Amino acid sequence: MSFSAILGAWIAAFLTLGIFSYLYRDNPFYKIAEHVFVGVSAAYVAAISFWTQIYPNLLGRLFPKDGPLAFTGIEFDFNHEFNILYLFPLLLGVMMLVSVFQKFNWMARWGIAYTVAIAAGLKAFGYLNSNVLNQVKASAVDIFSGSLPLFSLSGDSVFNNIVLVVGTLSALMYFYFSKEQTGNFGRFTRLGIYFLMVSFGASFGFAVMGRISLLVGRFNDLIEYSSADYNYATLSVLVFIIVSLGFWSFQNPERKEN
Amino acid sequence: MKFLEDIILKLGAVDRRVIFVLIGLAVLIPLMTPISLPVRETPTTVKFYDGIEDIPKNSKVLVSFDYGPSTRPEIHPMNVGVLRHMLRNGHQIYISCLWPDGIYMALDALEEITNEVNPDNVSSFDIKEYEDYILLGYRPGAEAVIKGLASDLRKVYTVDANGNFIDDIEMMDGIKNLNDFAYIYSGSAGYPGTFEWVKYGGDPTGVPMSSGTTSVQVNEVIPYVQTGQLIGLLAGMPGAAEYEKLINVPGIAIQGMAAQSFAHIVIVLFIVFGNLAFFIKQRRDRKY
Repeated sequence: MSFSAILGAWIAAFLTLGIFSYLYRDNPFYKIAEHVFVGVSAAYVAAISFWTQIYPNLLGRLFPKDGPLAFTGIEFDFNHEFNILYLFPLLLGVMMLVSVFQKFNWMARWGIAYTVAIAAGLKAFGYLNSNVLNQVKASAVDIFSGSLPLFSLSGDSVFNNIVLVVGTLSALMYFYFSKEQTGNFGRFTRLGIYFLMVSFGASFGFAVMGRISLLVGRFNDLIEYSSADYNYATLSVLVFIIVSLGFWSFQNPERKEN
Repeated sequence: MKFLEDIILKLGAVDRRVIFVLIGLAVLIPLMTPISLPVRETPTTVKFYDGIEDIPKNSKVLVSFDYGPSTRPEIHPMNVGVLRHMLRNGHQIYISCLWPDGIYMALDALEEITNEVNPDNVSSFDIKEYEDYILLGYRPGAEAVIKGLASDLRKVYTVDANGNFIDDIEMMDGIKNLNDFAYIYSGSAGYPGTFEWVKYGGDPTGVPMSSGTTSVQVNEVIPYVQTGQLIGLLAGMPGAAEYEKLINVPGIAIQGMAAQSFAHIVIVLFIVFGNLAFFIKQRRDRKY
């Protein structure tokens, strides 16, 4: 096992157990792991965004090899041709950055306005097409189709189609507030609440399942790092954190909240 | 009866740290002493498997690694499975990433597959970069990247992850945009991921696509399967385990299912005890 792999395992074990230590209470190990995570993530995203997007796709188009700005001595060869339009994103980006100075913070608005407008336009189209039109189309089912079985657990069936139509309509009507939800209409919207509650229950179940899966993944790694190949990284770090936490808790007793 | 009620009340008021320890043990013990539990394929997983089987042999497919280390336990096993399945069927794989650390997940998955040996100690997959797969790499921009790929891939990717010019790579010949792929797959842990691929990739181009997602996303993604916008779905770690069973390569997802099941039992028991304790307390309060 290489030194870097062993060192990586020790760091991974320390950060994982540091985060887990929060389950006991907020403590310095958790804080270290949290701050390292935030700092490394921010730096990593900034660096990778520069080298994969700004460098080849922006600078590569503004300062191509043998381009009109070659006289500056700055050239980036990415098989691009010079494209003056790319000056605008560069300008907007710089304007967003200079907003750190109070005097120029109005400049950021232009860049933000451009980004918001583009995002709104893109999302409106995608949402309408994929989430509204396609979903409405799919909920228009033939309830009494002779070719469908009367009941099936998961596939298409008359029963499932009725559930689909009634569920969609009743849940939608629950959000119709222009008529008081009383009488038959109230009973129908109450049915909508039950459908929504089933959906929330399923979401909660899936969320729990997801978290346990992540725990399984971390435990798998910790078990691997506890072997002699990694110089018993997990066990050593665990003992160190428990002893340190015990000492720290003794010095900083938990305040009981009323 | 009162004795039993008192026990339930005590269980309902147990310190949260005790619950954490119990869930930790419920996960740890099955992982250290592997227990085999049966895995039953769900229709969405079978549909997913059939969808990949239906791609004409030796096609060009786009696989997007849209996750990072934080969700690796859920998505990675399914992505490794998908790569295995696609390579077995002779497809050429084009790997893109909408998440910055997706590229390392892709490298890990490829390394895992390359190091895989069969019982005769011979490499299971003799794959070569630029022949069987290409790492296009990460580009920031989320939906804008997908939209760019749908119109002109070469505007988004001028160089691949190794810095080689896309125009000089033979495997890229004939690839102009998403329409030149036979299939799109996204292993997604959130934004950007499945939703964006459906909205800006699959739906506008009509290229068949499917996805593997974290459990948290399943409830929102599943309507896309019902409408046919996605051909099946791998839903979290259980979906990965079912898929491993279908492609007949048991892996880490199947191993994790026992731990998953035991942890669920502990959680369900505490939910039941918590609710019982709530009703018992409510009844006693009403009495006095």
